[in-house]
Amino acid sequence: MIGGLAFAFANPAILAALVAVPVIWWLLRMMPPRPAAEVFPPLRILASVMKREETPSKSPWWLTLLRMLMAAAVIFAIADPVFNPRSNTLASSGPLALMIDNSWATAPDWERRVEATSALIDDAEAKDLAVSIVFTGDRQHDATPASAAAARTRLAAAAPEPLPADRRSALAALKTAFDTSPPGTIAFVTDGIEPADAKTMEALDQIGAAEIRVIEADGGQAVALTGTSNESIGMSVTATRLKTDDRRSLSIVAYDSRGRAIADGAIDFGLGAAVAKGTIEAPFELRNDFARIGIEGAATAGATHLLDDGFRRRRVALLSGEARDLSQPLLSPLYYINRALTPYADLIEPRETDLAVAIPELLEQRPSVLIMADIGRLPEETYPLLAKWIENGGMLIRFAGPRLAAAPADDPLVPVTLRQGERALGGALSWSEPQPLADYPANSPFAGMAKPSDILVKRQVLAEPTADLVERTWANLADGTPLVTTSARSNGRIVLFHVSAEATWSNLPISGHFVEMLRRSVQLSRSGGVAGEGKAVQAHTLAPFRLLNADGVLVAETGNARPLEVQPGKTPVTTPDNPPGLYGSEDGFTALNLLPRDAELKPIDMTLAGPHIVERLTRAESWSLKPALLTLALLLLIADAVIVLFMGGAFSRLRMARAASVLVLMVAAGALFTPQQASADDTRPDDERILERLDTTHLAYVVTGEDEVDRLSESGLRGLTDFLTYRTTLEPGAPVGLDIMRDELSLYPIIYWPVSASAPMPSPQAVSRIDAYMRAGGTVLFDTRDQFSSLGAASSGTSPNTERLQAILANLDIPPLEPVPADHVLTKAFYLLTNFPGRYTGSPLWIEAQFENRDEPSNRPARSGDGVTPIMITGNDFAGAWAVDTNGVALLPTIPPDEMQREYAFRSGVNIMMYMLTGNYKADQVHVPALLERLGQ
Amino acid sequence: MASIGQTVARTPSGEVLSRAQQRAMLVPDCLVEARRIANTVIAGWHGRRKRGIGENFWQFRPYSQGESLSRIDWRRSARDDHTYVRDREWEAAHTIWLWADLSPSMMYKSTLGAVSKESRALVLMLALAEILARSGERIGCPGVMEPVSARNAAERLATAIMLSPLGEGLPETGMIRGASDLVLIGDFLDPANEVMGRLGPLARRGLRGHVVEIADPAEEVFPYAGRTEFTDPESGEKLTAGRAEILREDYQRAYRARRDSLGESLRHVGWTFIPHRTDRPASEALVAVHMYLSGMPTRATHGGQL
Repeated sequence: MIGGLAFAFANPAILAALVAVPVIWWLLRMMPPRPAAEVFPPLRILASVMKREETPSKSPWWLTLLRMLMAAAVIFAIADPVFNPRSNTLASSGPLALMIDNSWATAPDWERRVEATSALIDDAEAKDLAVSIVFTGDRQHDATPASAAAARTRLAAAAPEPLPADRRSALAALKTAFDTSPPGTIAFVTDGIEPADAKTMEALDQIGAAEIRVIEADGGQAVALTGTSNESIGMSVTATRLKTDDRRSLSIVAYDSRGRAIADGAIDFGLGAAVAKGTIEAPFELRNDFARIGIEGAATAGATHLLDDGFRRRRVALLSGEARDLSQPLLSPLYYINRALTPYADLIEPRETDLAVAIPELLEQRPSVLIMADIGRLPEETYPLLAKWIENGGMLIRFAGPRLAAAPADDPLVPVTLRQGERALGGALSWSEPQPLADYPANSPFAGMAKPSDILVKRQVLAEPTADLVERTWANLADGTPLVTTSARSNGRIVLFHVSAEATWSNLPISGHFVEMLRRSVQLSRSGGVAGEGKAVQAHTLAPFRLLNADGVLVAETGNARPLEVQPGKTPVTTPDNPPGLYGSEDGFTALNLLPRDAELKPIDMTLAGPHIVERLTRAESWSLKPALLTLALLLLIADAVIVLFMGGAFSRLRMARAASVLVLMVAAGALFTPQQASADDTRPDDERILERLDTTHLAYVVTGEDEVDRLSESGLRGLTDFLTYRTTLEPGAPVGLDIMRDELSLYPIIYWPVSASAPMPSPQAVSRIDAYMRAGGTVLFDTRDQFSSLGAASSGTSPNTERLQAILANLDIPPLEPVPADHVLTKAFYLLTNFPGRYTGSPLWIEAQFENRDEPSNRPARSGDGVTPIMITGNDFAGAWAVDTNGVALLPTIPPDEMQREYAFRSGVNIMMYMLTGNYKADQVHVPALLERLGQ
Repeated sequence: MASIGQTVARTPSGEVLSRAQQRAMLVPDCLVEARRIANTVIAGWHGRRKRGIGENFWQFRPYSQGESLSRIDWRRSARDDHTYVRDREWEAAHTIWLWADLSPSMMYKSTLGAVSKESRALVLMLALAEILARSGERIGCPGVMEPVSARNAAERLATAIMLSPLGEGLPETGMIRGASDLVLIGDFLDPANEVMGRLGPLARRGLRGHVVEIADPAEEVFPYAGRTEFTDPESGEKLTAGRAEILREDYQRAYRARRDSLGESLRHVGWTFIPHRTDRPASEALVAVHMYLSGMPTRATHGGQL
């Protein structure tokens, strides 16, 4: 220290180097002066005669002065002048003992704590004292006094831990170490937070040091979040703080899983309040995305509150028995479910229409809920899968519909036993009226919702009355029949809505109650996904997944954290083995937060301590002029460089232009060398054949494996193809025989399937593919060819072919059927027909029953059903009637032998094809006279 | 130290015009040698001393068989028994293309020169235009003005230059047809063979050219000394000479060699070459060009040099 000034040089010897400045003066004068600038047009002539020669000359005095200043600044900087050098006041009666808090609250000012501590260690080294250092966040403590260098190493290695300070063991270690010889100075660098029922100062006093120094942070600014709860308008957040003597407002921010801030709120502490609450107002959908809550400006583990997937949205898988999803969305049952659930749940839909593939694929994605709309029958092998998934906690929500109504009664996946067929309320032949809903029962999750007054149910499936039906009912109609029933299966649940999910059976799907009912049902489900296989998720221990560090950042490194033991009824707490963070795996985790719910930060009780000195972390610090001087020298250097460049004329317009052109060249070269785009070759061997088939429409038949039948099918379809080509604008290609196990089915509008009892039974996979084909909009025409043979068959009245057909259809999800009604569009699609004969006559043509418009006034010549029937069944042996040889001569006689019947058989084929290709278009055509009249033609 | 040479702003053509008219007043009417213009058919003011298309009376001659009756001068024919036809004197004009190089190197004026080279070039060009227009010639400027025959051709040329400034280098000369005169004014500092590479094709097309080389005195005498950085105003290139005074001799030799070689090459193709320094009066160059144009090549004063 020099005189009374708080100013000293750390290395005064370096100042001797100032002697060198005059030498630098002399050296620096050697610089060519700025030349006289002259414009000279005949420069080229001058250049031809000029020889290079340069003469050194003197540089201007001010440039020299600048450089000497620079040299002096560097010399002074190396001499290291220091303001306010600190004084060494350690007690020298014994070693220096350091107890340092490295809890979560020290994270923001840890650097300053380290500085303060290392200053103390420097002092101890100067006085040649041993240093003992303990960190309260560590698990083991080594309080043995050691050299200052060792202490410095340990200090450098220490970092704030995302844990509360545990001072008891540290104090015990200190007490053991200094049992015989008391320390000189004991310094306690503290975060100021007292754990519950700890008496730190008292214990510190008992160690018996000559001097106790408590070094505190400045403001006691520690704040922490202790809990959240989801409320109706937003998320309520509780916070606590250490210093309570002022008003304070904290802004809190909610982050999503990618760390984006998506909502915020504020917490206001009143005067003297240690705990306060605030609300983050956000809509429900947004709150689902919250992953953690943080306090703005406070990056500590305490100021970060992690949320686990109790708040998460559920993943909902959707399945439908309908094929109309794309073309007529308003008639698709999934449309309404989709619209109702999209804001509240993640929806997944299968890529395949084949249920045998789709269901395992959906379950693999671990949905919480599976919604099946109007599925009557599932492939046999999927039942155990679904049952297992429900047992593991899945929730199956089903909607009724024509298929479910027609399904056999032994369906294991309905909550109550159902009566077969559906019940229609209202209509011409019924006394009953469409029914409104009754009040929701008290045991229902829908309880509390207002009674809907505007919902009318026109059609429903009925449950068989059982003793426990009332308990299983979530919603009733006004006449007491259940509308929503449920049953728990192990960990899972099945819910059945007794109406369809589209608006044909009731107007429930187009009311707001539908949305609320679905939302409440889905919220009941287990979040975080349910595995389809394996045992139920009942984890007793959860592995660490992501841990918080002291700065409140989630990191993947789990260090030596142990798995978290979760016991029912006990909230896990933070320990050194289980630091705060997320435990579990990506698919499902539990959040462990630093502070338990309703914790409160309390300051250390200083009244218990004996005589001690309290210091602040930031006092009148000694600071060095070295950086400032070096910066000055650097600035002078830059200034000098700029001046020299100016003198050399580096900033002339021409150089700039050259630099710019070089840049442009480099960019252009870069553009030239960008790699060519390459595309992968993704053709498949079968592509050419498929493209061929796509060019023209082809009639297709199923290859049964019996030569005779297949030959007849082929020539029959060829006959029909010829007929179509002669009589209509449809000109199909050659008929195609299909192996339903392997060939792509979706290319053909209709598949003719001659059922033969002697042919091998198609495999379940083949039937499943046929099912997917029908669901995707295709039609299968089953022909049992037994109209007359059934008369002579066994007494049961069914022929072997019909039995085979029943066996095939048993695994298919088929809608209710009816014979073609007289006003069906099939009777008018091309020719006007009353029946559909083939080789035989008399067997009706069965198609999907149409319910919708039965009670409409029947002044229209044709009913317009929506869509096309996915299935047709006949016994008339169409192919036999159509079959011709290569000369166009019929192969088989009709029975009875009537050529008009053959003509009608062809006409039936034409009508079927037209119906396949135009759908209900012909039904719409019947309005043409009315439309023309309206147009005034 | 203030520099000797400086780049100057472009001279406004209005100012140049007034100066050019003053110069032009000193020079008598120019009658361009008619030797090469025998086939020009456009009417001008010069009587060609022979029969042809024109306004003025030339002679009466007897009507000969086959001529159009409308050409008979009935008033004269009424005086005697013969019929006469009135012939008129053939009046024809010559086309002279004027062009001045206004490249950046021309925007130069040293303390030794009276005006910048560009200013002097413009004055020369407009003064020529004035004189020639006074004589009824057709004045054109390649790329700027189509040839016009008007008394105010100099004003029109000045206006045209103001609207579309002259570019650098020789412009497109495809519109110049044969038997025209071409007056090129510039500093022609490029090497002689480059200049000839540009002018040679013109000469081979049969044009007659008159090249006026404008030089600043500083370019010729090289009055620099000491450490000097020379900048080319056209390319921006820089050269730093440690001691400029030792270069003077070599430079002057190179400069003269270039000028001699250029003059020699031009005379070789039949063109004329007139060096001119800006410290001399513009009238000198004007008179020299005027005499060349009038076909009196004998006593040209070459701006005091050569």
